[in-house]
Amino acid sequence: MPSSSDSSPRRAWIRRLRRARPAVPDWVYGLLTVLVLLGLWEYAVDHAWINAYRFPPPSKLARTFEALLERGFPRGVTTDVHFKATLWRILKGYTVATVFAIPLGLFVGATPLLERAVTPIITFARSVATLSLLPLAVAWFGVGEFTRVFLIAYGCFWIILTSAINAVQGVSKVYVFAAQSLGASRRQIFVQVMLPASLPRIFAGMRVALGMAFLVIIAVEMIGTIEGLGALIMEARNFYRTDVTMVGMIFIAIIGFTLAKTLAWLERVLLPWVTDLEEVQR
Amino acid sequence: MKQQRAFQRNLIVSWSGVIVVLVLWQLANTLRLVNPGVFPGPLQILDTALNRFPAADVLDHARISVQRVFFGFLIGGGLGMITGILAGWYRLFGKLIWGPVEILRPIPPLAWIPIALMWFGLGEQSKVFIISLGAFFPVVTNTYKGMISVDPMLFRAAQSIGLRGPRLLAQIAVPAALPDIAVGIRVGWSLSFGSLVAAEVLAANRGLGYMIMYGREVGEVEVIVYGILLIGLLNLLTDFLIFNLLFRRQLRWYFG
Amino acid sequence: MGKAIAIEHVTKRFNDEDERALALEDVSLHIEANEFVSIVGRSGCGKTTLLNLIAGFLQPSSGQVLIGGEPVGSPGPDRGMVFQQGALFPWLTAIQNIEFGPRNRGVPRRQRRAQAQELIELVRLDGFERKYPRELSGGMQQRVAIARALANDPDILLMDEPFGALDELTRSEMQLELLRIWEARKKTVVFVTHSIMEALYLSDRVVVLSPHPGRLRAEVAVTLPRPRQRSSQEFMAMYEEIHRAIF
Repeated sequence: MPSSSDSSPRRAWIRRLRRARPAVPDWVYGLLTVLVLLGLWEYAVDHAWINAYRFPPPSKLARTFEALLERGFPRGVTTDVHFKATLWRILKGYTVATVFAIPLGLFVGATPLLERAVTPIITFARSVATLSLLPLAVAWFGVGEFTRVFLIAYGCFWIILTSAINAVQGVSKVYVFAAQSLGASRRQIFVQVMLPASLPRIFAGMRVALGMAFLVIIAVEMIGTIEGLGALIMEARNFYRTDVTMVGMIFIAIIGFTLAKTLAWLERVLLPWVTDLEEVQR
Repeated sequence: MKQQRAFQRNLIVSWSGVIVVLVLWQLANTLRLVNPGVFPGPLQILDTALNRFPAADVLDHARISVQRVFFGFLIGGGLGMITGILAGWYRLFGKLIWGPVEILRPIPPLAWIPIALMWFGLGEQSKVFIISLGAFFPVVTNTYKGMISVDPMLFRAAQSIGLRGPRLLAQIAVPAALPDIAVGIRVGWSLSFGSLVAAEVLAANRGLGYMIMYGREVGEVEVIVYGILLIGLLNLLTDFLIFNLLFRRQLRWYFG
Repeated sequence: MGKAIAIEHVTKRFNDEDERALALEDVSLHIEANEFVSIVGRSGCGKTTLLNLIAGFLQPSSGQVLIGGEPVGSPGPDRGMVFQQGALFPWLTAIQNIEFGPRNRGVPRRQRRAQAQELIELVRLDGFERKYPRELSGGMQQRVAIARALANDPDILLMDEPFGALDELTRSEMQLELLRIWEARKKTVVFVTHSIMEALYLSDRVVVLSPHPGRLRAEVAVTLPRPRQRSSQEFMAMYEEIHRAIF
């Protein structure tokens, strides 16, 4: 709410008090809320307000967290195996998608005729819900690793492709004119102007694609495998271990958060000149 | 006249791409370059569409799917918008709610399936829950972002006219945040839709996702592909409607 | 050293949609080597079009544009251009921007770095070489833009309202800077501006174009010695003359 211009002495006094207090960083508030909610949760279970089976209390979750890190779940599958499986699948699918989508997108974006012909196809392919392809992919490739990586790659490919095409088209003409008047050849313009100018928007697309990859992999891991974070939480359900499911979800949150932050860091390192890095829209 | 000719030319080019793909696809099938039992051609799928399934059935499945998304989206998106608006207006609330939201946001909606099944069983509620989660996060994030980026000068101007409190919120803050909210809605819808499909594929007895699984169970790949294409079309259609109804109309002041 | 520009009976027609926009009609103008000429006029009078014709971004519908006796070809480093918004490449530092032209001509690293450093000093941005455009103020960005154009040792410097986006004070400062740089590196300058005051302050000659269609309306020779007094009688008299010609 915007500050009112009330000048009554009481308000002035409160304002002075507020200013005297050292600035509290925003994340402290968030942390506070989380701790309070966890505390309430624990209390509620203690006093049997809510079922400990459906809502395992934080104390139990903490123990499960430790146990999971030590022994893994299900029997014999340690957490690092799950992490590695999920991350490795994401890496493979994401890399494949990127390697094909970026050059193709740059080429299509730079060729207006091709872009117009190809855009309806891309728009439609992008509308196809990636997870709806699961049964088809299984029919074609079976229930193995390839299917999983394929689906991730599919989901990411169209997103990165679209952003690469838009990136090239969105390059401000002024830069091209400036480069021309400075004597650059067509090839030089493409490499030294179009490419760097396209990078920010391509990166934005890569951020979205990463979110998609993560989404797809977790869902896909729920079928046909016991390794991976998606598999972990699904397996936990089969054994009626709600606590493991919840800890699994915490793992997922941590990994998801870390991946996003890593990409953001990479972007800052590679593109130090960008003025505003838009936050992810999801 | 020249404008018309350019428009027609563009139209032809746009469609030519699609036609080329369809032709090549059908050719690959006719020439048995791929196994039609595994990779059906467009004509096969057309045949399935027209003959295998009565249109009424398909429409029914589609209706059920869209209803689910709509319902879930309304709940998740509505909650998201309210939360986002309040969080943006009352900064303290915003800072407090930020923690739990940021922690839960990276978790994909589908990761909630085991919990949803546990809490709501195998019924409609669990699906609606997942879908509303899909809508909630993009909507709340973008609404909040929209609310806090409203130009403070707009408030000053409105206050000097005499607007206060709730009227300031309703008549200045929310309309100014609308472009960002609209983005959140669009993203939220597409995420909801995707979550619906997955949810139906994994566990449902009606709906388009179920249709796909049915095709898999009876081993008819054409049905699978038919279902996939239908979902894609539906997604495209609904997004198009949202974009043109919501965006273009209501936000003419922003885009036009 | 600069070259002379001959604009001979140039007409430029755009076929935009159904409208046949006649941007320039039978404009003839001679600009001497190393002369500083400003082009002023209301919006739509074709001043930017004229500049683009000299630069080679556009070709005349009829008539010809000659530079040093040769017809103008495609855009090139011999006609350095400074745009209103600088158009500095945001992904390159100030000095890298300046080196852009020489680099693409194959000038070896050490040489072009030395030349660029010289130009940095000329435009008085020592210490800011490694900064990205977003870290520089508007005035600084325009200095880099000028240095970037000068790095190719052009015969002609074309400037399209380069100080239009700056505030009044920075603008006055930059006008002084431009004159100083021009004294140091003499070139033919064609300067497009909205501001009559600016044109009078800087140029040897002010050319007035009138809009719809773009035609040469008036030419005023400014023989006052530099630096000029904006408040002097002669200055104000010329201002009135040009003002009348425009309105």
